[in-house]
Amino acid sequence: MRPQHWLYTIPLRLRSLFRRRRVECELDEELQFHLERKIEEGIANGLSPKEARYAAMRAMDGLEQRKEEMRDMRRIHWLTDFLDDARFAIRSLSRTPGLTAFVVITLALGIGMTSGTFSMVDALIFKPYPVPHPSGVVTLVSTTHDSSFDNFSYREYLDIRGKTKSYDGVIANADMEAVGFSAEPAATPRIKGGMMVSGNYFHVLGVEPRLGRGFREDEDQVPGRDAVVVLGPDFWKREFASDPSVLGRTIRLNGAEFTVIGVAPETFPGLLIFGHPDFYMPLAMAHVFSTNRQKSFFEDRDDRELAVRARLKPGTTLEEAQNELAVLAKNFETEYPKVNRSRGAAVHTQFQMRTRADDGNWKFGVIFSILALAVLLVACTNVAGLLLSRARARTREIAVRLAIGAGRFRLIRLLLTESLILASLGGVAGITIGYGIVLWFQSFQNVIFMTDLPFSIPFRMDTRVLLASLALAALSALLCGLAPALQSTRVDLVNGLKSADVDVPGRKRLWGRNVLVVAQVSASLMLLTASFLMVRGFQHDLREGTGFAKDHLLMVSFDPRLVQYNAAQTQQFYKLLAERVKVAPGVESEALTQNIPLGTSDFDGIAFVPDGFQMPRDRENFNSTMDTVDEGYFETMGIPISRGRGFLASDTADSSRVAVVNQQFANHYWPGGDAVGKHIRLDSRAGTLVEIVGVAQTIKYQSGFERPMDFVYMPLAQHPIARMTLMLRSSGDPLQLVQPVKDVVRTLDPNLPMLHTMAYEDYYQNQAVEGPRIAMKLVGSMGAVGLVLAIAGLYGLVAYNVSRRTREIGIRMALGAASSDVLRLVMGKGLVLVGMGTVIGLAMGFGVERLMNSMLFNAGGVDIVAYVMVVPSLFLVTMLAAYLPARRASRIAPTQALRYE
Amino acid sequence: MSKPSDLVQGTLDLLLLKILALQPMNGWAISLRLKSISGDVLQVSEGSLYPALHKLEQEGWITAEWKQTENNRRAKFYSLTRLGRKQLESEAANWQRLSSAISHIVRLEEA
Repeated sequence: MRPQHWLYTIPLRLRSLFRRRRVECELDEELQFHLERKIEEGIANGLSPKEARYAAMRAMDGLEQRKEEMRDMRRIHWLTDFLDDARFAIRSLSRTPGLTAFVVITLALGIGMTSGTFSMVDALIFKPYPVPHPSGVVTLVSTTHDSSFDNFSYREYLDIRGKTKSYDGVIANADMEAVGFSAEPAATPRIKGGMMVSGNYFHVLGVEPRLGRGFREDEDQVPGRDAVVVLGPDFWKREFASDPSVLGRTIRLNGAEFTVIGVAPETFPGLLIFGHPDFYMPLAMAHVFSTNRQKSFFEDRDDRELAVRARLKPGTTLEEAQNELAVLAKNFETEYPKVNRSRGAAVHTQFQMRTRADDGNWKFGVIFSILALAVLLVACTNVAGLLLSRARARTREIAVRLAIGAGRFRLIRLLLTESLILASLGGVAGITIGYGIVLWFQSFQNVIFMTDLPFSIPFRMDTRVLLASLALAALSALLCGLAPALQSTRVDLVNGLKSADVDVPGRKRLWGRNVLVVAQVSASLMLLTASFLMVRGFQHDLREGTGFAKDHLLMVSFDPRLVQYNAAQTQQFYKLLAERVKVAPGVESEALTQNIPLGTSDFDGIAFVPDGFQMPRDRENFNSTMDTVDEGYFETMGIPISRGRGFLASDTADSSRVAVVNQQFANHYWPGGDAVGKHIRLDSRAGTLVEIVGVAQTIKYQSGFERPMDFVYMPLAQHPIARMTLMLRSSGDPLQLVQPVKDVVRTLDPNLPMLHTMAYEDYYQNQAVEGPRIAMKLVGSMGAVGLVLAIAGLYGLVAYNVSRRTREIGIRMALGAASSDVLRLVMGKGLVLVGMGTVIGLAMGFGVERLMNSMLFNAGGVDIVAYVMVVPSLFLVTMLAAYLPARRASRIAPTQALRYE
Repeated sequence: MSKPSDLVQGTLDLLLLKILALQPMNGWAISLRLKSISGDVLQVSEGSLYPALHKLEQEGWITAEWKQTENNRRAKFYSLTRLGRKQLESEAANWQRLSSAISHIVRLEEA
């Protein structure tokens, strides 16, 4: 319709809506006027007043029908009808406050669990990049045998940028790195999170700086020339109190001077899910930030540190981009066979990247969504059952309405309005619960991220989540309301009017109810199984242990680059540090390691060729994770060396290269043989020769749930690393060693900051135990809610069945049935239903177990104990829910039962 | 809703708009006018008159106000709006087209 038209019609509709009584009066008056004229005319034509009146009415063809027709003309009857329905529904719901409250609470639990979970899943998977037109931004990945989502090197990035035509710009960024920041030259540097990005980063993403400017393309051309930095919005607020004069100021990053040229807008906290970089630097400044000293960032084509994204040109399809990049990857392979053999490339959308099978967020999202939906399903079936019972108790009312001409559709609408009101109340309460869950998640902020880097939990109750929750509430209204509404309006009028409660011949009606019971029992069984499996899987992994000693350990991290040490000074510092803390009071042993086990940062990777190993034709090397440690590491961490030796002080930069591998690695490449004495070559067949001098026991490296993985240790003396963590084994409380370490560091360099100083066991508790425990609590409460709802639902259904059959039971008992017969009669059906539910629930439980095993735990087979615990207890509890009403039925006195109703 | 039985569908709207275009009127007067101008050819039941008027009013084509009749009785008088005038023009044009086309066809068959 034309907007101009609305100008006229909207006031008219509003008038019909809000001045309803007035409009009705006018309608009456108008028709009355007409009738009077007509009667006058009739009398004038010689009719008696009575005849004239009669004729006038007849000419109208039914006055009331006309009025109704005129009301329909107002085009608002759908709304007025709805308001009438709503008023009626509220009145009838408030007549049964207990039932209403139960239904609302049930729905609230279901919707709340789901909306809390959705806030998590949305942040992890669905939420688009915070940039304009985010759907055009795709991710380019390098693919190998071992990883389908590898990064690109700087050289490769330049080639992609120069040789592709599918994009309006190709951007690159390195990982967010720990960077030493100081606003004043004299201040001790503090650790902040910085990210190196390409010069066109902000421009291509369409992010307009809030202050100053983004990088220019030419600021990313010459290595080391343009020391400029763009601040993140939060960082600017925290460190500079949102001071606009920060532009042009000089700050120090890792000791080098950088000029602030801009501030990113609030709307752009970065492209990462958890991390929000404090500042951005151009890639060309990599020499200030790069951690990998073995490779040259600007030259080595296999120094793959860059995540590459691009904005697709409008009209270019993903396939075209894919094909173009595949050709480019083929060219790389022929031009640089050494570093690119059997290496491909692919283009993925954001959604594809976030739903990749090896992504932990995706796995968690899937599992939690399944569980939350199961809770919602149980809640909905519960409510549907209750509404069904309620609707049946109203059979006579509905029959009367149908008999005096109400349309079936109109009645269904009335009943659906009722469930819509219930769902709205439940939805609002549910969103409150969901918000509570989000707050609960956020309260673990400091537990989960024990790091100096700017990470935060991104789960929010924002508009997206609110809308989804409301949609869920509406959907559950339909789910719970439709079946009862359809069924209860299909009444046999004659019988319906005769008795308050009719049993329609045939078993069709009971079918729906039975499905509800089965669905409830099976869904709650699955929920319980899942929570039990999770708890047990977690305990199993905890019991299995990590393979090293966690107690009596102090950890302190150092990064001498923060005070501008060069490589030689850095290694001298670590050498002296180790020597001096070793003899400090209370120190039993000392270790230096690049990464701590089960820490937040990932271990480095290493490419190698086992010497004398026949490499498959299509691959250049194998990959493994690695750590750089000093000679005290294995002893201090309590990691047993099962064969050969650990590192010695005699393994120096000048002696021949050595490495220690773990048992898994040894078994992998030399099954049945002895790895000690064997050699590997780094990078390729022509690479540096490294002798394996020892085999260490396999421990847990990245997470408590991981499967055993290959691992290589390199000695610090031969593989220098700038950022190292000192681990000290103490005889007493490890925190008592903090002061002695401080003293030692002061003698070496009073300006060098000590980072991350804490007892390893505390760190481990938070990092590896507390995080999974939060997930378990959530799953556990889902299981508990599911079970309680299922029990309540089953009890309600059986109790209702019994009350409906009271008369029948009375007759049976009057005819001589014993109370045990009645018990069997009532229980028998419940048993069958619970049995069916259990079988289906078991099947679903197995499915969930397989899913969880493949995704979260390293456990292989079926956890029999979990089922032995869950299935009988659920069976018992549900049987009890059926037994109580059944027993009541069996004790009914026949005289009383026959008088019932 | 019952349709005016002896009227081509939609023509009642056109008739009402046309009548009101001549002068504002109340419902009773309209029913008299309808009878007088169309003779007995077009039978418009009084019952369908008011729903039709209401529809036109809700479409915004006519507007109503309460006024005194010549016998000093309060009655609802309808008059055409600007929008209604446009509607009348287009419906009249439509009707012209349709009727001339139909009569053309009818004549063809006789020839």
